[in-house]
Amino acid sequence: MGLDHSLKLEIPFENARQATIAKEVLKPDPILKPQDFQVHYTTAKNVLLVSFQSIDDRVLRVGVSSVIDSIKTIIETIDELDGPPISSSPTI
Amino acid sequence: MLLPTAKYCGSDAETVKFEVNPADARYQTTDGRTTGASPYVLNAGQVDRDRPSEPRRDANGKITALGELRTRLTGLQDDINEFLTQRMELAKGKKPKLQGNQAKQEERIENEIKELLDGGDGEDDADGL
Repeated sequence: MGLDHSLKLEIPFENARQATIAKEVLKPDPILKPQDFQVHYTTAKNVLLVSFQSIDDRVLRVGVSSVIDSIKTIIETIDELDGPPISSSPTI
Repeated sequence: MLLPTAKYCGSDAETVKFEVNPADARYQTTDGRTTGASPYVLNAGQVDRDRPSEPRRDANGKITALGELRTRLTGLQDDINEFLTQRMELAKGKKPKLQGNQAKQEERIENEIKELLDGGDGEDDADGL
């Protein structure tokens, strides 16, 4: 049985640097069963492109949701550390 | 405006495109319907300590662009999860039928093997008399 279930995700960031950071953070995550599920990360300017391939819908659902959870954490972290200040008070 | 999208392609060549409607409330929250603790656990009194934080706001109280992206991605994740769960249910519905066919096939093979072991063409019955 081949990896004939696929999903392509496109996530635009504010700039190319953020998209590259997201890609570099996600890339080292090992795939436990590469014969059942594969993920490829690329960027095109400010867009993070994630391509999933899976043996069936069940494995695809688990894998895609897990990667999206990671991406949400990355977005939140970039927003906290690289985003606009939340108040105008000077930082120490 | 940062709008994430997704495109699914199944083994049966079904293609579905997922898009975000920023005006829809489901794309304005970080609290997804298909992620986090189940209602059963929460109703039993469990506190969800892993609940996602609210989207970040700037000095003027406006949600940041990345905060909005996170809410939209949460909605998109719900859409994908619900769609794939539905596909899984459909596949599950098909399985018993396949299993039934498989059982028939196994029975046929078993009978053939039995026949071969018994002599193959039923002549044994005649010889045995």
